[in-house]
Amino acid sequence: MSQTDAHTDIDLDPVTFEVLRSSFTNLVDRMAEQIQRTCYSFVIYNRDFSNCLNDAEGNTVMQGSQDIAVHVGTLHYTCKETLEYFEGNINPGDVYIVNDPYLGATHINDVRIMRPVFYDDELIAVTQSNGHWADVGGPSPGSFNIEANSHFAEGLRIPPLKIWDRGEFQDDVANLLVTNMRLSEDRMGDLRAQTEATRIAEERLLELVEKYGIDTVKTAFDESKNYVERIMRERIRELPDGTWRTQDYIDGDPADEEGFVTIDVEMTIDDDEVHYDLSGSDDYIGNFLNSTYGTSFSAVIAGTKMFFPDVPLNSGMYRVVDATLPEGTVVNAPEPVPVTGSVAGAYEKVMNAIFEMWSEVLPERAMACAFNLEYLLSGGTDRRPDRDGEEFMWYDWMAGGWGGRDGLDGANATAPVFGAGLAVQSLEGQERDTPLLTSQHSIVTDSAGPGEFRGGCGVEKGGRLLECENSVISYCSDRAYSVTWGLDGGLPGVPHGVTLTRADGDPKDLGTVFSNRPIETGDQFTRPSSGGGGFGDPLERDPDAVREDVIDDYVSIERAAKDYGVVIDAIDPDLCEYEIDYEATAAKRDHIREHREGWLEEDPKSVAERYRAGELDQLDLVRRYGVILEWESGELLGRTTAQFREMLERRAVAEWR
Amino acid sequence: MTRAGIDIGGTFTDLIIFDEETGRIEITKTPSTPDNSAEGVINGLTKAETAISDLDFFSHGSTVGTNALIERDLPRTGLITTAGFRDVHEIRDATKEDVWDAYTDVADPYVTRRDRLEVTERIDYNGEVVTPLDEGDVREVVQVFKKRSIDTIAISLINAYVNGDHERRVQEIVEDEHPDAFVCCSHEILPEMFEHERTSTTIVNAALVPVVREYLTDLADQLESRGYENDVLAMHSGGGVMTTEAIAYYAARIANSGPTAGAIAGQYIAEQCGFDNAIGFDMGGTSVDVSLTYGGDIEMTDEWAVEYGYPIMFPSTDIKTIGAGGGSIAWIDEGGSLRVGPRSQGADPGPACYMRGGDKPTITDANVLLGWVDPDKFLGGEMDATAGPSRDVIERDVADPLDLDVTEAASAIEQIAIANMCNAVRLVSTSKGYDPRDFAIVAFGGAGPMHAAHVAREMNIPNVIVPPYPGINSALGCLLVDVEHDLSKTFVANATEEIADDLEATLAEVESEILERLRAEEIEDDQIRLEHEVKMRYAGQWRSLAVPCSLPIESVDEIRERFHEEHERVYAYSDRDATVEIYGIRVTGRGLVEKPSFPEIESGSVEGAHLGTREVYFEDAGGFIETDLYQREQLGAGATFSGPAIVEQMDSTVVVPPEASVEVEQTGNLIIEI
Repeated sequence: MSQTDAHTDIDLDPVTFEVLRSSFTNLVDRMAEQIQRTCYSFVIYNRDFSNCLNDAEGNTVMQGSQDIAVHVGTLHYTCKETLEYFEGNINPGDVYIVNDPYLGATHINDVRIMRPVFYDDELIAVTQSNGHWADVGGPSPGSFNIEANSHFAEGLRIPPLKIWDRGEFQDDVANLLVTNMRLSEDRMGDLRAQTEATRIAEERLLELVEKYGIDTVKTAFDESKNYVERIMRERIRELPDGTWRTQDYIDGDPADEEGFVTIDVEMTIDDDEVHYDLSGSDDYIGNFLNSTYGTSFSAVIAGTKMFFPDVPLNSGMYRVVDATLPEGTVVNAPEPVPVTGSVAGAYEKVMNAIFEMWSEVLPERAMACAFNLEYLLSGGTDRRPDRDGEEFMWYDWMAGGWGGRDGLDGANATAPVFGAGLAVQSLEGQERDTPLLTSQHSIVTDSAGPGEFRGGCGVEKGGRLLECENSVISYCSDRAYSVTWGLDGGLPGVPHGVTLTRADGDPKDLGTVFSNRPIETGDQFTRPSSGGGGFGDPLERDPDAVREDVIDDYVSIERAAKDYGVVIDAIDPDLCEYEIDYEATAAKRDHIREHREGWLEEDPKSVAERYRAGELDQLDLVRRYGVILEWESGELLGRTTAQFREMLERRAVAEWR
Repeated sequence: MTRAGIDIGGTFTDLIIFDEETGRIEITKTPSTPDNSAEGVINGLTKAETAISDLDFFSHGSTVGTNALIERDLPRTGLITTAGFRDVHEIRDATKEDVWDAYTDVADPYVTRRDRLEVTERIDYNGEVVTPLDEGDVREVVQVFKKRSIDTIAISLINAYVNGDHERRVQEIVEDEHPDAFVCCSHEILPEMFEHERTSTTIVNAALVPVVREYLTDLADQLESRGYENDVLAMHSGGGVMTTEAIAYYAARIANSGPTAGAIAGQYIAEQCGFDNAIGFDMGGTSVDVSLTYGGDIEMTDEWAVEYGYPIMFPSTDIKTIGAGGGSIAWIDEGGSLRVGPRSQGADPGPACYMRGGDKPTITDANVLLGWVDPDKFLGGEMDATAGPSRDVIERDVADPLDLDVTEAASAIEQIAIANMCNAVRLVSTSKGYDPRDFAIVAFGGAGPMHAAHVAREMNIPNVIVPPYPGINSALGCLLVDVEHDLSKTFVANATEEIADDLEATLAEVESEILERLRAEEIEDDQIRLEHEVKMRYAGQWRSLAVPCSLPIESVDEIRERFHEEHERVYAYSDRDATVEIYGIRVTGRGLVEKPSFPEIESGSVEGAHLGTREVYFEDAGGFIETDLYQREQLGAGATFSGPAIVEQMDSTVVVPPEASVEVEQTGNLIIEI
């Protein structure tokens, strides 16, 4: 990553630098605008995309301001790998396509289009557009195949390919790609939309070169990176040196006995640099929640960046923050281990672990764990009278609660931390396109992790299948067991998981990771997202704040008493009149304070027994007893429970004392 | 013909009277009266010595709606929605404005969860009833609102854009059970797909109606009782006017009224001076509004919001607002650094120098100490202002804590204010890929001409234009537009000849609604101009592109061809083999209004306008320097002079920094070369 000193003698006045820097941002944001207006994948339309300007070495000069966090810190790897692959054969008019997760990309759904930009026969930059395609082939609609034990069973993996060669569209190559994907025409549309975006960026960049001169623009590339590096180093230098360490967990490894999969993150601040070491993490696991090197590095950058929201992001940042990610672990799965669900798996665990460590370093930005990213995919043949025979895909993701903060409740119903710019879809749009009647899109009462500052509330969305055929449902999420946790004495949210009710049956919990379950007309499903974890001891929460939450039904009267020890009487709900019984509240809080550590040491077997007998509910188990069951069967998960209690001891109990 | 253009701002109510026969132009500026906006208007007219019965035309813009939204000074509003969906308003599209800052939240929903109530009913995507409306539910919900004394109610049911029957029935029941309530239905306000956007627009509209209706009814009554016989027109965000009757129902349409009027006048003035590219820089008592005109067209948007996350889906000029006005307060934050705004002292109590109880240092107070503005001459000397209190509050709140002398403190406040203003200009220019060096700033608002030259210098913008009456620019804008109504409707079908009849029928239906609205405004048919648009996209695409068409339609093939061309022009590619889908239509109807033509001013030299000199502080010059003073009204066309200079006029003060030069253009605009 050597800097080209040749340009440093160019005098870049502050106004020109500012204009160029803003022009780079604007150029990238214009790509975003173009893609959003012309794409075919609703996943892209709802902003699961990123764009960037790379320099001739592949370094990122500028990223989009609303980009999805998970793409951050990976686009430059893909660019470098591609430039290396085609070295000696890179020509004006070329356009490349790549989705290879093992070459720096995130998962096969993220398809990257790159265009080398030439000026006077010299390669000066690459414009890159990354979009999450709604399907890239494989056995499951949406290409999330949980049964895959290698990438061969996931979908189409695309190594660096020329889709335009010296201005010639490679029809046969494009055809080969999209023929292997569902809704081929739409995929071709996405390909063209992204390609055009890179061309518009090329045009704009060349305009800038014409106006300011090539040397000035190249200097501005370097200065943009130096600027970010400089700010970041100054910020880090002001912080105390030290080493912090924590763990977060994936629910389990289907190839192993029950028990959490550990993601271990150690962070060292050394003068003006930050180093992360994830060597303590477990080996990769038997489903697609693993992540590759690129994705995990992205999690490290995105997690860190949340504590420096005003520092722009480009390759300058990567000179200051680095990570050790040993191959063979769940955070650096080797080829051909499946990684498509990484964003719901290892990725967000790394991010949340990083939140926890930085919460100690920069307490004014502290935040507990946020809900887990989740994707529900249902696809098949639409048999509604006016849509007879069309293929459909209901591919949905939800908002959820972010963690409680120091002095502030968490944000309700917000896009996942993996990409806070990812918009949820309009159900009216979905109902037009798919045979599914949405049953609700609502905030879930009591989903927020209790705390002095509670987590944000989670959401629930589900629906009933209308006339359809050959339809299946798949789900990609996590944290049914490793429930969204609190910090500084705060408590967890609620377990994730899909409930399916057959037209003629009882509700069944299908868990957080499954694929291709047949589903028929009249079947209904729903799933909650967790609220964020609580921050601070819930018994310290202002009773008035609890009362306000009860009025709005964010918290039930029952759980106000159980979780917060606040006793509230409903006087006249029509008039929003609720009263706090202060005497009973004081007594309740004393009682909880006296017993809560004991509850967390009760014999899990008898707790599970009481749950099965209907004496305790799921939230009692998670928040009061720290007991985790296989929720559908009610079977105790002994090892998981021990780990969950150990986690609560560290994040909650230790703070209560 | 005597016309009155009025702008009711947060701080002042501005007025321009133009008598076309005599060429008389009268302007006034009187303090706004937020508790009763009409009072300020009447005060202004009285001050202009204009008999209301002599007026032939009254058109006004207003920030009453905007300010009510910004300050959330709205009536408690209830929402009735489909069971299972009361949180659509709060979940929104779930995104954050600042994706990286976990401590900056999207604003709270306009309607709290407790006041969002559900009724059992369901309509599907096709308009078919899946679950009939449970009228018992509706009656219960209405009783709850009644008990809570909530009489502003928005109704937004799922899929109501295809079938409004349930909404209509809910409305009937509400009106029956709670006759005092104002009710607003989503299928009527915005018959378009996407539940959050439609609900948000409906809620904002419902909440604003009581606010806007109260002042408008009062204003119309007062004008009428004083002998005004024509329509009372109001500027809407899209850059046209409507009658008060229409605006009182579509209240969310005036959410961006005042700034839009200013943007229109800004573009008009730039054109007068020969500039196609202009940045409108409108600084008043509470904020700076920045708009952009490129190639003669004002930038517009369909997705406008006062607060991120809650769209108002009516067309609007694209204006960026930041909290830096004359009344913006200077304060020291927890970290010990000096900040300016966004909190403002507004009109009441106003800056400390107004001596109306304001005891916080503001940008205006800093300007007084720097000698930029003479407190004795505020509003042509009508306002009882003095520098003493400015000095006291700046000393106490800024100079002492920061250990500066009072002039240094005043200069520091000004410099931070300028930096904030530059950021607002960047939002519309550099961050959209426009190079500010290709633009001229049109500076207006009472405070705009005082700061614009410094902003221009900082941003390398070569010219600043100051119109003759910068303090009443938005009022002027109200005289420059037509009556305008628009209505969009979702209409989804493949663009083939088979749907020609359906498309034509739908366009005709919307057109007749628009004609009805225009005729209700008593516009003669020969004064009506209609524009029809079809929103189209390639099947599978998510966004659509508006393509003009006529009615009766030419042919669907022709419209489709136009779409390919438009797609090619805007996005640089098209695909004639792909299926094209129609997604919606829009009809815009304009009722032409006769525009005034302003006279040229007499030519003259600069000497007659020279008032003497004063010591004025310029940071560039390192302190106070001797500065020429001019009287604006005495400057004739063709006069030239150079900075440092201060031009004083009734409604504003122009600050010309050292080394800048000024020329008076023939209609009286000052063109400053930075």
